[in-house]
Amino acid sequence: MNRQRKTMKSTLLPTLTLAATLLIPASMIAQVDRTKAPLPGPAPEVHLGEHKSLTLENGMRVIIVENHKIPIVSAQVKFDIPPILQGDVTGYQDLVGELLTSGTPRHTKEQIDELVDGLGARLNGSNDGLYASSLKKNFPQVMDLLYEVVASANFPSEEFEKAKTRAMSQVQARADDPDQIADVVGRALTYGKNYPYGEVTTEASLGKASRDDVYQYYRYFFQPKQGYLVLVGDITAAEGEAMARKYFGTWKGAEVPVTKDEQGHDVVKDLGPIIPAGKDPRRPADVRMAFVDRPGSAQSVIKVVFPVQLKPNDPMALQAQVLNTILGGGVFNARLMQNLREDKGYTYGAYSSLDADRWCGSFSAGCSVRNDVTDSAVTQIMKEITDIRNAPVKTDELALAKSYMAGSFARALEDPRTVARFALNTYLNDLPEDHYETYLKRLDAVTITDVKQAAERLLHPDSCTVLVVGDKEQVAKSLEPLSGSGRVLDYDINGDIVRLDPTEGATPAPEGMKAQDVLDAYIKAIGGKDAVEKVRDVKKVYTTNVQGMPATLTEYNKAPNKYAMEMRMGEMVLQRINYDGQKGKLTSIMGEKELEDQELEEVLGNAYAFPELHYPEMEQVARLLGVITIDGQKTYRVSVETLSGGKIDEYYDVETGLKLRRRENQMQEGGGWIQVITDYSAYSPEGGVLFPHTLTQRGGMDMVLTATEISVNKGIPDSEFSTE
Amino acid sequence: MRNIITLTACTMASITAVAQTREIKFSEFDLPNGLHVILHEDHTTPIVAVGVMYHVGSKDEARDRRGFAHFFEHLLFEGSDNIDRGEFAKYVEKAGGVLNANTTGDRTYYYEVLPSNQLDLGLWLESERMMHAKVEKKGIETQREVVKEERRQRYENQPYGSILPEVLKRAYTEHPYQWPTIGYMEDLNAASEKDFKKFYKTFYVPNNAVLVLAGDFNSEKATADLTKYFGPIPKGGTIPRNKVVEPPMKGEIRDTVYDKIQLPAVVQAYRIPALGTPDFYAVDMLNRLMSNGNSSRLVKNVKDAEQKAVFVGSFSLPFEDPGLAIAFAVANMGVPPDSLEASMDRQFELVRNEPIAPAELEKLKVQIETEHAMENGRMSGIANNLANAYTFLGGADKVNTEVQQYLAVTAEDLQRVARQYFVPANRVVLYYLPMNQKK
Repeated sequence: MNRQRKTMKSTLLPTLTLAATLLIPASMIAQVDRTKAPLPGPAPEVHLGEHKSLTLENGMRVIIVENHKIPIVSAQVKFDIPPILQGDVTGYQDLVGELLTSGTPRHTKEQIDELVDGLGARLNGSNDGLYASSLKKNFPQVMDLLYEVVASANFPSEEFEKAKTRAMSQVQARADDPDQIADVVGRALTYGKNYPYGEVTTEASLGKASRDDVYQYYRYFFQPKQGYLVLVGDITAAEGEAMARKYFGTWKGAEVPVTKDEQGHDVVKDLGPIIPAGKDPRRPADVRMAFVDRPGSAQSVIKVVFPVQLKPNDPMALQAQVLNTILGGGVFNARLMQNLREDKGYTYGAYSSLDADRWCGSFSAGCSVRNDVTDSAVTQIMKEITDIRNAPVKTDELALAKSYMAGSFARALEDPRTVARFALNTYLNDLPEDHYETYLKRLDAVTITDVKQAAERLLHPDSCTVLVVGDKEQVAKSLEPLSGSGRVLDYDINGDIVRLDPTEGATPAPEGMKAQDVLDAYIKAIGGKDAVEKVRDVKKVYTTNVQGMPATLTEYNKAPNKYAMEMRMGEMVLQRINYDGQKGKLTSIMGEKELEDQELEEVLGNAYAFPELHYPEMEQVARLLGVITIDGQKTYRVSVETLSGGKIDEYYDVETGLKLRRRENQMQEGGGWIQVITDYSAYSPEGGVLFPHTLTQRGGMDMVLTATEISVNKGIPDSEFSTE
Repeated sequence: MRNIITLTACTMASITAVAQTREIKFSEFDLPNGLHVILHEDHTTPIVAVGVMYHVGSKDEARDRRGFAHFFEHLLFEGSDNIDRGEFAKYVEKAGGVLNANTTGDRTYYYEVLPSNQLDLGLWLESERMMHAKVEKKGIETQREVVKEERRQRYENQPYGSILPEVLKRAYTEHPYQWPTIGYMEDLNAASEKDFKKFYKTFYVPNNAVLVLAGDFNSEKATADLTKYFGPIPKGGTIPRNKVVEPPMKGEIRDTVYDKIQLPAVVQAYRIPALGTPDFYAVDMLNRLMSNGNSSRLVKNVKDAEQKAVFVGSFSLPFEDPGLAIAFAVANMGVPPDSLEASMDRQFELVRNEPIAPAELEKLKVQIETEHAMENGRMSGIANNLANAYTFLGGADKVNTEVQQYLAVTAEDLQRVARQYFVPANRVVLYYLPMNQKK
């Protein structure tokens, strides 16, 4: 305080004179109390701003936001395109944007470039539309060009080849960019590589992409009925509407003939079937520790990721954003930032995101840290995710997050494009009409309990992928204790696993030996191919204990691929699954339901009496990973990759050829995975083929199944498999 | 005193003027302690940007404390006599605002964007920072690690991330621009509390700063308030200025850097005049001619027609003392760096040999005009531009008039600066090559 008074003294006189000149009431020059933060004035009202919307006759929606602050007008054309699989030509969609402005029947790329630059304009394409802006005086010409490009881009082959070569160069460059690697592999591990968001562009996949893929994609998806035109800026609503009608009013879109494939997908000539996102991606069974080696890295890039089922119109979407703001969503006071940067000095910045998405949302938390604190940083990130899930957030944390979000909302409105974005989001995400009008009110109402509930539903620190991109030699070992399996899995820069199990002590299989050789030896060991193929149907009855009560499990297989399973306790059927070769049905005390997605896939894995003969038909790939010892027996370890990216490990006795163990991840009730290990023993023959008579299962429900009956070719009626 | 009267008149007059010209209207004055104040009132959105620019950057550092100015910027979030460690950002975010800061070779800029009813909070925080910032040992040691991580993240662990440090250390021999703002690890480790005290007392004084408010406030009331908060801060001494003049280059410098990269890159750094000089505008226009838009010379020819590059760009470093123009290209796959460099050189040679056509000059002017219109869309941007114009361009009014200096550039000017500055003898050329090509 002393210091303050002294300071005041030296400047008191000038301050007084200054105030007098301004005729400010004397009360306002009283010495300010510096020891406390000043109180805020009355809160200003936040005005959302107006927009006008209309629908053209061709179905295209138009959104206009008038704002004359700066003499700039922008136009966005957007098509509502769902994520679709790119498969073996992954990467072609990334070329759409660049090629949209690479030629029309009227203008070459060079001419378009000259036009755009000559108007001082921007014209940028993406795989779902274009964005253009310019001074108001040049805007009519920009609209002219924008329409021309949307309606008649012709994707010249020469430009395609150039763009493809550059894209392939960029894929090469990615190999040394840790942030890009973390991004690409992070997405692959979040969604799986069979989900559109998880597909990875490689030089090989780009190499297969053709100009027609890109062109037909554009023709098929750039259609007025799923199109939006958003005009913002120094333009009146009337001018905007007139422009929209003039250019897009009579636009019809390309006529693209389609046929249907067996699954009912549209098939577009020269592009192939349009395959939308399939089943929702699943989280790993436990903490999956994934490592991409980048030798000599100065830092480790850490990402904790998992998919989240959260759509933008989910009632919990706003609570989720509050939760993420407290955890690590861009606020300096967020827990990750305070812990990892301000307390520990591990990183320049630590952040999290919890993104809602119409198809599949995602969680991500991470940072870049020096090598020697990598394991500590992972531990702290996991701790923060766990803590916010287990304990209620503090009152002042919640208040700060809500104030910050309200402030961000107001700040965003400074840009007139925000109002337009709100209108567009409302349509695209099927939000309530007043979603944004009620935003501040709804935000204000979020409680500690709401945040806790969101955390419990959406955060899963026990079932996630921890990805680290860095120097393996220096860092990887320290991460083992943090892995659910105790192991660190190596991935390459394309998100493919390098070795499944580097630390389990596997030794290489004999030179030249393949998974198929092991499978052949197994079939031979149980009776030979002829004997096995003579098995038309099998019924297996096992007794076991379920929660201390005796139970019976009966399995039926019938060629080619019918399957049924029934679990009984006394007279009561606990569960029955029927699969008729196409459809699956689950009956339980809860009722009946048709099996879909992951559940159906699991049943499919049992549909053949001897699946080892049918991996190719099930589109499963078997690989021999080496020789390892389990329970004192030397075994060949074979990894079977399923269609959805799941992995099953099988262990075959090196000496006898018999299968001793199967290890797989099974879906759990309510999401998540659990590792289930089944040991096979007491092999004895039935109908000329050896069957294991004791199955010991661990993980999930621990139980021992003892076969009381295995009968072969007794004629099981089809009705046993009916799904009607 | 005269300033204050003009200010009142200005504020009243500006209300009608805004809509017609869309100029950035502002008023400005000095407090008796030397703090320059610029006010821009705009009531469109209920927010206010509070910015303070200190005229101090890495070029003011001692030669064995490289990176100190930026390190110090981090420490000035640690608190003050009245603000405890960690509370600074909390006040802002609790009020619904955002805050940040950045440092260059020439200046350090701190800002908050707040809801308009929280203007006083911003004034209090910034005046506390200027008046009696406080740094504890825990803060120093933590931020030292944070800054080192920033260095690793931005420079060491990024492909091509070392370009700026590698260019600067060859382009300057005398001037402190020879080191990057982020500094070097050994100097960051050496920085001590004594250094902080001295730096603060010398440079963080009102007569070395400009305070800008932009947004939804009443100028008269804001003037009274800011005077309460900043008025009592004592004026500092004369600011020591580093007057090192970098001698002209003695010919081209060429070198190779091996990096963790796949695609080779070529960097050409030409020495250019200081920010705000007439030739600077011509040089900056020339850079736009080379790489602004797909029809620009380098993009159209080197990247598109000849397919030598996946990326090519050229830009000027807007330094207070003579700076650099950097042309940078990443090779397309299979293209050797000398072939890429030859293509780049050809484009600069063309500008030296032939005056550009009137239509192409016209294009550059439309681009400048559009950019100028767009850059004043947000309060935070306006505040920064006003502070920058005041500190480096000779006056805050340059936010409105600087565009004229660009528009005045002629085809002859472009050719002249191309011949004067964009010549091999005036440059550093670096080849970036993949580590595995190191012999």
